[in-house]
Amino acid sequence: MDEFEQELKQALERRPAPPSLKRKVMARRARSSEPAHPFLWMRLAASIVIVLLLGGGVRWQIEKQQEKRRGEEARQQVFTALRITSQALNQVKIRLAAHDRKPEE
Amino acid sequence: MAHDWQPDFERLVDEHQSMVYSLALRMTGDRGLAEEIAQDVFLELDRHLRKIESPEHACFWLRRVAMSRSTDALRKRRVRGMDLWVALEDQHGLAAEEKSSALGIRLEYLMTTLPESQRAALVLRYQEDLLPEEIAAILNAPVATVKSHLQRGLKLLRAKAASQLKEFIRGA
Repeated sequence: MDEFEQELKQALERRPAPPSLKRKVMARRARSSEPAHPFLWMRLAASIVIVLLLGGGVRWQIEKQQEKRRGEEARQQVFTALRITSQALNQVKIRLAAHDRKPEE
Repeated sequence: MAHDWQPDFERLVDEHQSMVYSLALRMTGDRGLAEEIAQDVFLELDRHLRKIESPEHACFWLRRVAMSRSTDALRKRRVRGMDLWVALEDQHGLAAEEKSSALGIRLEYLMTTLPESQRAALVLRYQEDLLPEEIAAILNAPVATVKSHLQRGLKLLRAKAASQLKEFIRGA
């Protein structure tokens, strides 16, 4: 190492850090370890409530539609049963009428 | 790898704040920016503390990240270090302990006029007293490239000093 390099080495000795550096680092570190937002849990709770309400509403709507469909099916079954009964009664009526005509012949 | 050393963040800040700040200052020539960079480097260290395996690893990691963040900051600002240095000297002056060697101050000033890669190599060589192999590891560059930057940087600095600092060299 020649004289110039020695001079350069002396010129580039470490400088003391500003006295505030450590304090600022520790303060920023403390801030970064705090919760991101003091009301974060409230936001989270509100979000959960909204999701539950929406989910409940959707489920209620689906159940209502299913109930309506079941009612419609039951109604159709009643109509079908009535049709069958009506047809059976008609046949009975026809047979009775035929039976009533036989003695006359 | 098993290791008994437990990193103590506050102690690491105490031990290395001067090194990190000086590296950032020599690279950027801006005291405010250097302090910001040093803060960011230590906060990043805090986030990576579990990965630090030894005091030597901590020192290597800090040097590497300080150099990297300084380079990033310079690119972001797109301002030449020399201009910043002049502005700082004009506005704030130098602290009393920093006025010990006029030639040293001028050499420091001339350092900021060197190309970034040469300045990085010279700062690590003469501030941190590192070998080219160690500098190469920190800058993530081939050893031959680092040696070239050191030689060219030193040559350029000598030339600048010879043309601009004659009176100081004679007086030294």
